[in-house]
Amino acid sequence: MLKLNKDSVVGTFTIILGFCLVCSVLVSSAVVALDPFKAAALANDRQVSILRVSGYEVQGTVAQTYEAHIQAQLLDTETGKLVPEMQAEADGYNFVSSAKNPQTNVVIPSDEDIAGIRVHSKLMPIYFAHDEDGKVSRVILPFYGAALWSTAYGYVAVDPDGNTIKAVTFYQHGETPGLGGEIDNPRWQALWVDKKIEDADGNLAFTIVKNADHSGDRKDYEVDALSGATLTTNGIRHAAQYWLGTVYKPFLDQLRKGEILK
Amino acid sequence: MSSDVKTPTWKEALLEPLIANNPVMVQVLGICSTLAVTSSMKTAFVMGISVTAVTALSNAAVSYTRNYIPSSVRIIAQMTVIASLVILVDQILRAFAYDLSKQLSVYVGLIITNCIVMGRTEGFALKYPPLPSFMDGIGNGLGYTIVLCVIATVREILGSGSWFGLTILPTVNNGGWYVPCGLMVMPPCAFFLVGLLIWAVKTYRKELIEPAEYDTHREDY
Repeated sequence: MLKLNKDSVVGTFTIILGFCLVCSVLVSSAVVALDPFKAAALANDRQVSILRVSGYEVQGTVAQTYEAHIQAQLLDTETGKLVPEMQAEADGYNFVSSAKNPQTNVVIPSDEDIAGIRVHSKLMPIYFAHDEDGKVSRVILPFYGAALWSTAYGYVAVDPDGNTIKAVTFYQHGETPGLGGEIDNPRWQALWVDKKIEDADGNLAFTIVKNADHSGDRKDYEVDALSGATLTTNGIRHAAQYWLGTVYKPFLDQLRKGEILK
Repeated sequence: MSSDVKTPTWKEALLEPLIANNPVMVQVLGICSTLAVTSSMKTAFVMGISVTAVTALSNAAVSYTRNYIPSSVRIIAQMTVIASLVILVDQILRAFAYDLSKQLSVYVGLIITNCIVMGRTEGFALKYPPLPSFMDGIGNGLGYTIVLCVIATVREILGSGSWFGLTILPTVNNGGWYVPCGLMVMPPCAFFLVGLLIWAVKTYRKELIEPAEYDTHREDY
């Protein structure tokens, strides 16, 4: 630094380069060093989200409860069949990164892509919540779609009848707190409970609309939209309709016929 | 830099910004995040501590290197330091306080744009040695934290009936008697509270009142 004039062009560039080097080494080493902790925090968060829609209260630690009540399976979304031979990989299977890999993804035809996600993973992890005797009480399905500002990721729990929604939660989104962010509001999420996915004729009927029907013949299918958050709600509606009505349809059809759970 | 300006001692640098030169109430900086993160004590407290850490460390770092930073790009150099520290804080929160980092969401990243941090490196650390600069950072961070906590206390108790998540007023939703004040949960209410706080502090400490810049009763403007 002795000879270097800090205000010359060369000096300015050298010093700024030095600043950037030091800072980038600092940032990247922190990111790498904290990686295992972040992964553990993420896994714990996933277990908490899944347990929240599973209907089981946390007893003891989250990991213990999860171990006792949740069993993960991989689902082949094209056939709607489980892939038991890959069960070891199922828990926490990264469907976001496998959606980006041409070998493991499915490209969604643009006219079907109401959720605005373009591709999805061919294999999806799904979670069976079961009681102490191993009787399955809910099937928990991950779903996601483009909301207003961000992609919203959530889990929806379906009754073993394959047609009744029992709970919903969102574990990652970037919607405006107080407006679109109200998708996290438990009182809104409670509106999803006991809604039916398909009507008696087997057509997709679940929807989220303004002035939902509370007493008429649509009351089993309609959830009230969030006021002040039309675009977010549209995104969530499309995500739910796309995943429940298209991606998981082969699986849910088999679940309804009782071919999955025997 | 100029020798006729007296360097504040570290004690002055630490204590001055707590009330007398409080970043929120007197300098009126960092209002945006004050509105955003004060709906509960937990987020307000963690945000305050994060800002304190970033302000203190960036002040110290900028002050150490103040004689090498070319003045033409000093803002960029400060931003580089601040941005790196904010990423560091964000990563640490994600690793060890994932839930809180989810609640704070974008606001941790937005510490970069918090005027307090930039204001202190530019206004203080570039002129004074590392120790007072570091203390100034701590002081300003704590000054910010105090305001955040005062506002969050009012908002969380009246808005959610709890404090740090502990139930103070049992709400109707949970079978109690208290009907929560919905306004308190919304960000604009923090604006009123900041206003009331500034009013209260300036009533109590008259020396903080700025001289009037104009006289509304004169007609010849």
